[in-house]
Amino acid sequence: MNTNTNQQGAITETFIKKILAHLDNTDVNKLQEFLNLFAQPPIAKIIYNSTPFPDATQFLTLWQQQVVATQHTLTSVDYHIIPGSGTLICNINCKVRFDESGKDKNGQDAVIRQGTQNNNNSNANRRHIWGPYFGVSLQLVLADTIYSNQFQGVIQTFNYTVVYKPQDSLMEM
Amino acid sequence: MNRSVSTGNLLGMAIRNNVNMNNNPNNMNNPVDNGMNNMMTTLPPNDPNVINTTVKIGIRHWQNSNQADLLNFIYRNSGITLQNIILEGPLLVGFVPNRIQADRVMKCDGMNYAGNRLKVEIMNGRVPTTSNTVEFLRNVILKRYDTQSKMLNLGDLYQDQDLISKGMLASVSTRSRTFPALIKIASEEPGMIIESVNLADNQLRDITPIATLPKYFPHLKNLCLANNQISRTTVFDSWRNKFIDLKELLMLNNSVIKYHGYKNDMLKIFPKLIMLDNVMVRDQAKVNAIYNFPVKLQQFFFENNQLSSSAGEFVTNFLNCWDNDRTQLLPLYTPDSQFSMAVDGSIPSVSVTNSDQTPSFGYYIPYSRNMTKISNDRTRQIRLAKGSNEIANVFQNFPKTKHYLQSDPIDYKMEAISFPQINGFMVTLHGYFEEVEKPQSSGSGNSNTINNNNNNNSNDIVRTQQRSRRYASSYNNTSVSSGSTRLSKKCFDRTWTLVPMNNTIVIASEMLTVRAFTSNSWAPVDEQQQQQQKQKQQQQQMNPPSLMPPILTPPPSQSLGVPITPGGLQLPPNVNLNQQQIDLINKLHGVTKLNYQYTCMLAEQSSWNFDQAVKNFQMSVNNLPREAFIQ
Repeated sequence: MNTNTNQQGAITETFIKKILAHLDNTDVNKLQEFLNLFAQPPIAKIIYNSTPFPDATQFLTLWQQQVVATQHTLTSVDYHIIPGSGTLICNINCKVRFDESGKDKNGQDAVIRQGTQNNNNSNANRRHIWGPYFGVSLQLVLADTIYSNQFQGVIQTFNYTVVYKPQDSLMEM
Repeated sequence: MNRSVSTGNLLGMAIRNNVNMNNNPNNMNNPVDNGMNNMMTTLPPNDPNVINTTVKIGIRHWQNSNQADLLNFIYRNSGITLQNIILEGPLLVGFVPNRIQADRVMKCDGMNYAGNRLKVEIMNGRVPTTSNTVEFLRNVILKRYDTQSKMLNLGDLYQDQDLISKGMLASVSTRSRTFPALIKIASEEPGMIIESVNLADNQLRDITPIATLPKYFPHLKNLCLANNQISRTTVFDSWRNKFIDLKELLMLNNSVIKYHGYKNDMLKIFPKLIMLDNVMVRDQAKVNAIYNFPVKLQQFFFENNQLSSSAGEFVTNFLNCWDNDRTQLLPLYTPDSQFSMAVDGSIPSVSVTNSDQTPSFGYYIPYSRNMTKISNDRTRQIRLAKGSNEIANVFQNFPKTKHYLQSDPIDYKMEAISFPQINGFMVTLHGYFEEVEKPQSSGSGNSNTINNNNNNNSNDIVRTQQRSRRYASSYNNTSVSSGSTRLSKKCFDRTWTLVPMNNTIVIASEMLTVRAFTSNSWAPVDEQQQQQQKQKQQQQQMNPPSLMPPILTPPPSQSLGVPITPGGLQLPPNVNLNQQQIDLINKLHGVTKLNYQYTCMLAEQSSWNFDQAVKNFQMSVNNLPREAFIQ
C-alpha cells in the first residue's frame, strides 16, 4: 500500500461518504460514475435488505428508478484491513431519510390532473420534504487499492440493511 | 396490507347504519350512577372521609344557561359555593361541606332561572366514577361499529338519544370532551379493527373536537366528514401527513369544497389520498410505486446452504459463550485476529417503536473506534485489538449480556456472504442484547487497557480514556456517571469474518457496533402483531429451546471450534437404504439437525433431492416439533 496508516482512516471515511453521496444523488448522469466503483460479477456481491442482486447495474437501476430521493447521514464507521487479502472490511452505521413530497426521483407525482398531461416533471426548483430517519447498517468489502487512489471496481461486497424504521414515515418496507 | 381503495359509498353506508342506532331504552342508564365526570370537570376528593362528610347536591333544568352563571346564581341566593362540580348529563352535581350549607342551597329549589324552574335536590347516591362514563361511551361505540365494513359510525351524534340524555353534546365544553373521549375509547377497544370513520352531520366547523383522530387511527383508510360546516382547508393543517394510509375522504356539503384551492390543499395534507369526494385524484399504482419500497425487507440472507448451516451454528454457539463465559471464545482468535467496537450514539426518532431516547454507552465509549468521532490516528490504532490477549482484555470491559436468539428469534437478522479472497465467509448479525451485569473489570474509564501488557502503550491508553470521558460527556450530554453506565437493552450490528481452518473456524476479524435500543425494522410492528410476538416469546420461554430458522442449535456440550460439517447421523440397524440415500440423509442431517425419522421423511417428500429438501425444511422448520431434532 502506498499510504501510511495515518491516512488510511481518513481515506476510508471519505470513500464511504462518497458512496453514501452517490446513493443520494438523483442525477441519472452520475450513475455511471457510481457503477464504476463496483467490481464485476461474480466478485461483486450486492445485498440490499437481504435481497441479492446479480450485478450493480440492476441494483443501481432499481435504486434510481424505484426509490425516491434519499439523504444519508453517517453515524459510525469502523474498518479492518484483512492482511494478505488485498481487502478491507468496513462496518458502517448511518441513518437515511426519504423524500416524502410524493414525487419520485424524476419529479413525477401520482396526482391525476384533468385535461392536462400528467407530466409534472419539474425537477428544477424541486423541494424535498424529508421524512423521519431510518437506521441503516452497511457492510462493505473494499479493495485496498483505494489507498493508492484507484477506485475502479473496488466495492466487492455491499450489504445494506435497514435496521430500524419510524412509525410516522410514509415509506413502507 | 390491503392496498385496494374502497370505492363504496361510505356516506351512504354511514347514513344507513345510523338508522335505529338511537332511542334504545336499555341504554338509558341511571344518570346518577353513570355519567361524564372527570372528562367534564374535576372529580370530588378521593379521600373517602371527605366524601362522607360532604353533602352531594344535584341541580336540574339549568341548561338554558351555562355552568358559571348557574354557580353564581346559587351563590347569590344561598351564599354557598358549590365545590367539585360534576356534570352528569342534564344533572349538575356539586358538593358542600355539611348539611347546614346543603339546606341553604336547597332554598334555590323551584326558583326561576333562565326560563326554567330549577330543581335542586340533596343526593345520597354513589359518587360517579370514571369507569361508569367510560363504560357508557364504550357501549355507544359498540353500537356504532360495523364489523363487516370495519367502520366506526360517529355520524349525527346530536341525534343520539343516549348522548342527549347524558347532555354530552349540550355545550361546546362538553362536546369538546366527548368527541376525543369517543375516539380514544374506540382506539382502545380490543378486537375492533377500524378502517373507516364516519363523522358526517356533526356540525363540525373545524377539526378541533376530532384533532386526535390521526393519533389514535394513523392507518385509517376512509374518512367521512360530509354534511358539516367546515369552511377552510387550513383547519386541516395539524393533520398534514398524519394519516399515512388514508385513501378516501368525503367532504361533501361543506362550504370548503367551493374553495378553488381545495383539492390541492387536500392532496398536500393527505399524501396517499386516492378518492376525494368520490373523484379519483391520484393514481393508486403510482402512489404505491413512490411510497412502497421495491425490495421487501427479509430477515435472512445466506449465499448458499452451506453458509446457512455454518453461520447459524457459529452465531448460536458464539453468543452462548459470549453471554456465559467469554474466555471460551478465545481459541477462535489467532495472533492476527482483529476486534474492535464502535458506538453509534445517534438517537433514533421518537417515532421508532420502543426507541431508547436516553441510551447509556458509558461502558463502551472508552473503547469505541467509531471513526466519525475518533479522529486521532493513535487512538484508532490503540482501539483495534489484535490477538487473543488483547481481545480478551477488551471483552472483560464490556457488561455481561444476554442475547435472546433462541427465545426471540424474530428480533435477529442475519446475512452470510462468502468471502473468496480469504476462502472464508462474512457473517453479520443484527439484533439486541440485554446488559445483565457490570463488566468484570471496574467499569468505564478505568485503567484497564486493550493491551495492558504493553507498557509503552499504557500511558497513551490512560490518556485516551481520560479523553474518552470528556468525549462521552459531550456525546451523551451527560457525564460518565452511573447514569451513562446504566445497564439496559442495546441494539447491535456484529460482523465476523470467518476462515475455516483445520475443520474449525477462526475469526479473522470481528466488528461490533453498539447502538440505542429500538424495535427492529424486519419484524411486524403494529400492536396486534407485537402482542402475538410477546405471546410467542412467552411460549418459547416456557418451552426452551426453540428453533430459529435456519439457525440451528447444536448440543450444548458442543464446543466452539466445531467442525463445519457435523458427523454422520446414527442410523438404525437394518436400514433399507442405498448408499446414495444414506449419504444424502447424512448431508441433510448436517444441515437440518433433524433426527433419522424426520430426515428420512424430509428426503422422501423432497424426492431425494437435496436442494429441494433444504428448501422444504426452511419453509416448515417453524412447524416442526421439538422431538424432530436430535436432542
